[in-house]
Amino acid sequence: MTDKNILPAGFESLEPFVEYWAGETNDIRWDRRSRASMPDIQAFYDAMLARAEDAIQHLEQFPLGDMPPAEERLFCLTLSLVHASIAVELHEQPRAIDSPFPHGLHVTRGPWPHGGGMGQSA
Amino acid sequence: MAYDTETARPDFARMTPEDLDTGPVPCAPYISPDWFELERERVFGRAWLCMGRVEQLPEPNSFITREVEICKALVLITRDKDDNIRAFHNVCSHRLNMLVTESSGKRSIFNCRYHNWTYRNNGDCTGIPDIKNFFGVDKKQCGLTPIHCDVWQGFIFINLQAEPEVTLREFLGPYAEAYEGFPYPFADNAYVIESNLNVNWKQIADAFAESYHVAAIHPATIGNTFASKSLNPFGRPLSGHAYGAHRVMCTFGNPDYVPPEDAHVERLAYSGMDTGNVLGGSDSKKLQDLANHPAANPTKRPNWGADVSWIFPNFNIDYGPGGFWTHEFWPTSVNSTRWILRVHVPEATSVRERIMQEHLACRFAEVMLEDVTNTQAQQRAMESGAKTHMHLQDGEMLIRHSNAVIRKWVESGSAREALDLD
Repeated sequence: MTDKNILPAGFESLEPFVEYWAGETNDIRWDRRSRASMPDIQAFYDAMLARAEDAIQHLEQFPLGDMPPAEERLFCLTLSLVHASIAVELHEQPRAIDSPFPHGLHVTRGPWPHGGGMGQSA
Repeated sequence: MAYDTETARPDFARMTPEDLDTGPVPCAPYISPDWFELERERVFGRAWLCMGRVEQLPEPNSFITREVEICKALVLITRDKDDNIRAFHNVCSHRLNMLVTESSGKRSIFNCRYHNWTYRNNGDCTGIPDIKNFFGVDKKQCGLTPIHCDVWQGFIFINLQAEPEVTLREFLGPYAEAYEGFPYPFADNAYVIESNLNVNWKQIADAFAESYHVAAIHPATIGNTFASKSLNPFGRPLSGHAYGAHRVMCTFGNPDYVPPEDAHVERLAYSGMDTGNVLGGSDSKKLQDLANHPAANPTKRPNWGADVSWIFPNFNIDYGPGGFWTHEFWPTSVNSTRWILRVHVPEATSVRERIMQEHLACRFAEVMLEDVTNTQAQQRAMESGAKTHMHLQDGEMLIRHSNAVIRKWVESGSAREALDLD
């Protein structure tokens, strides 16, 4: 049950964030950040930013697109940091000012890997 | 990045061609069902329409399906084993069922799920089960109905007329001449953002066709990159050009943009990358060729942001130092549009690069959201009937030109007349 949230050794402190923030596609990560409260976004942002450089250096040891499950999770978590930063560094709130939610936009195909692909092909 | 004092003042030459009326532009085409019908017949029914790029059919026997809702057309595009690209109406000859239901795939023979009639990807009908029980049906007469199809620099276009009045080359005209040999980097890889929007197709097309709104709508996301409080506070374009029925705007890019001090993740994402512009480039030959092409920022002014090239009626090929992206705006009703944005990027080769791409994709998505949010409110305000005309400035030339060309096509007896070809 907790197996699916396990991260590589040394990153255990981030495990509580995995279930919500390690979304596997751009669209999921965007949606999760859009729905979260600012305190929750800030908490994740602070925790993840502190380990981001370590995470990148750890992940760089593995082939892109072919990492063990724990590393793939860490990768998705790091990608979510980018989404959290849109709220923290850009909007200073969870979503763009005056924007509706849900807004009906979807990333139907994201950059590889962990982008997701549905709808029309490239 | 050096810039000269001439462009330090936002005093660029007038963009609006002398032969375009500069008066207020009526809003009826954006809200009137009668105009929608005229566009169905006179614009989308006669123009060459872009369906995508050849890379979307990556192998022999690849296929894709598309729709042109305003004309109720269901389109099947195939690539055969000899790399011929063809288009057909996606309609079975038997009881006129939709033949192919997938959006893409690879097959040389298609079978209709209803009664198993089969067709080769060159349109030939190859099988009619229980043919003897028909009253003299001839397979040779039962092929798929073709749609005229042509390819220009990898972009696949169709024309829904039984016999197109103009060739694709004639249709593109001066645009094709200007963009001859233009490179399309990373054409085989794109991320895609889509939505169905409650706006007229022109409303959303217009939103991407001017940079006047940047400082107001996008203050946080790109306000400091396509405008500059000191150099170009209103985001005036560097230049604008009409190419027959088509049009291009070249936007200003802030040379001084760096991520703010506390934008830690943005700085992390762009660590080691050139941050001259949020859509900045990297060091590859095709990108160099793009920036050096005569049609890209044709005045070759420094502080170049990106170009918007809007191909009549509803297709953008936009590009900057980092590559190109395309917009398609498909009318589904007078006030609804299916919109697809494809941003062409290289496949990431490192973790850091992939993170940078996520940041680019996130920022792009947020910018799109800002644009789109506003247009839905605008459509409702326009439909209120409170006002009947828009006032457009010189920097909104693309919108003025689009309206003028649409009006011309609606009023012309033929596509040739609309293009001033005879």
